[in-house]
Amino acid sequence: MKGLLFFILLAVSAQVFGQIGGKITPAGMLSLGARSTLSLFNDEKNEMPGTGVGGQFRLRFSDAVNTDWFFDYITSDILNYAFRTDYHIGWSVLFYPINQLDYFRQEGGFKPKFRPYILAGHCFDYSRIESKADATLYGERWSSAVQAGLGSHLELSPRFDISLTGQYMIHLGTHLETEYNFGTGEITFLKEPGGSLAGHLLITLSLNYKIAKLWGRTKK
Amino acid sequence: MALLFVLTLPLYWAQERTSYFQPSLLRASATIAPTRFYGQNTTVAFINGFVEYILEDKISVRGEGFVMVPNTPMVMTSTPEVFPRNCNSWYAGFGYHIGKKNWKMDLHAEPGILAAELAKNYNQYNVPDSYQWSVNPSYLIKIGTSYYFSKVCHFFAELNYSDAWARKMPYTSLSMKQYGISAGLGFHLVTKKTP
Repeated sequence: MKGLLFFILLAVSAQVFGQIGGKITPAGMLSLGARSTLSLFNDEKNEMPGTGVGGQFRLRFSDAVNTDWFFDYITSDILNYAFRTDYHIGWSVLFYPINQLDYFRQEGGFKPKFRPYILAGHCFDYSRIESKADATLYGERWSSAVQAGLGSHLELSPRFDISLTGQYMIHLGTHLETEYNFGTGEITFLKEPGGSLAGHLLITLSLNYKIAKLWGRTKK
Repeated sequence: MALLFVLTLPLYWAQERTSYFQPSLLRASATIAPTRFYGQNTTVAFINGFVEYILEDKISVRGEGFVMVPNTPMVMTSTPEVFPRNCNSWYAGFGYHIGKKNWKMDLHAEPGILAAELAKNYNQYNVPDSYQWSVNPSYLIKIGTSYYFSKVCHFFAELNYSDAWARKMPYTSLSMKQYGISAGLGFHLVTKKTP
């Protein structure tokens, strides 16, 4: 009897969770997107704002939690004596703090709306600084970074959104910097091993389209 | 004659009501795009090709490329010595379409990359081979209009703006900021039958 009761309870739970997964939560939604990035306030001395391009996919875990998995390629000038290239590959967790408000419920026809979020995450990165005068002179480093910030989607259709994110990324590994002698034109690359907190502000604009629901399919 | 005109008019209107622009439409074209680099006061010709797929009534995904016409004469240039001899770019992004059934206003935003090749004697300096190609991030914004007049053809006209830097240079980085026009005849087909 207890076994039967347990089985019925399990079946009812599955029905309830199935309905929640199928009709209410957007969990399991997979998006693909392209992104452009502006890198500001870089830690390198004399470094100018950088521009980047990249791609991402987004996998949603629940109504309030989403994740971004991204790759960025960013270049910037260090005055006119060197330039820097950064490759970022990482992930961020997006949390929607006011997602439960009535504003976000789509009843009747779809209406475009903003959906703000807080994000935090981690990435691996490779940085390379090259001399402009002599391409054989360069410094490079592999490191790891953490990032956090704020952003918002602008949902233009049930499946398409534009997202603007501002986040600060702190690099945690070996520090790489250049010393340039303006008198002689001599450039040297310095690598300081050990932990170093250096970072930059990243403003990212991405365009995303939902392509699949990996779990919790909607029942018709 | 007047009667024939009156009788054929409803047929024309019936054709007008057919909407060729619809989800699952695949369209493509290639054209010559005159483009102005205003950092270098130089105008050149690009071959601009694109492929676009309509995902929803208003949303599309699109990829395209710009390839500088080989040995193109530069027109309206005042600084030929600081202009790359080659400049190609590739983009992928999304489009937003509004308007009537077959006449659409289009807006596209596409991140991408731009590859510029320096002349060997850039700005009167001998440029080593290792410097000649510089590949950098870029983005493209397009505003345009399209008119779908048959099952397989449409006209399009677009204003292009893109921004990038060629940073792998012996001296100051070169701005590749540019604006241009793409227009011509495009081809399309509906890839899924509507029920």
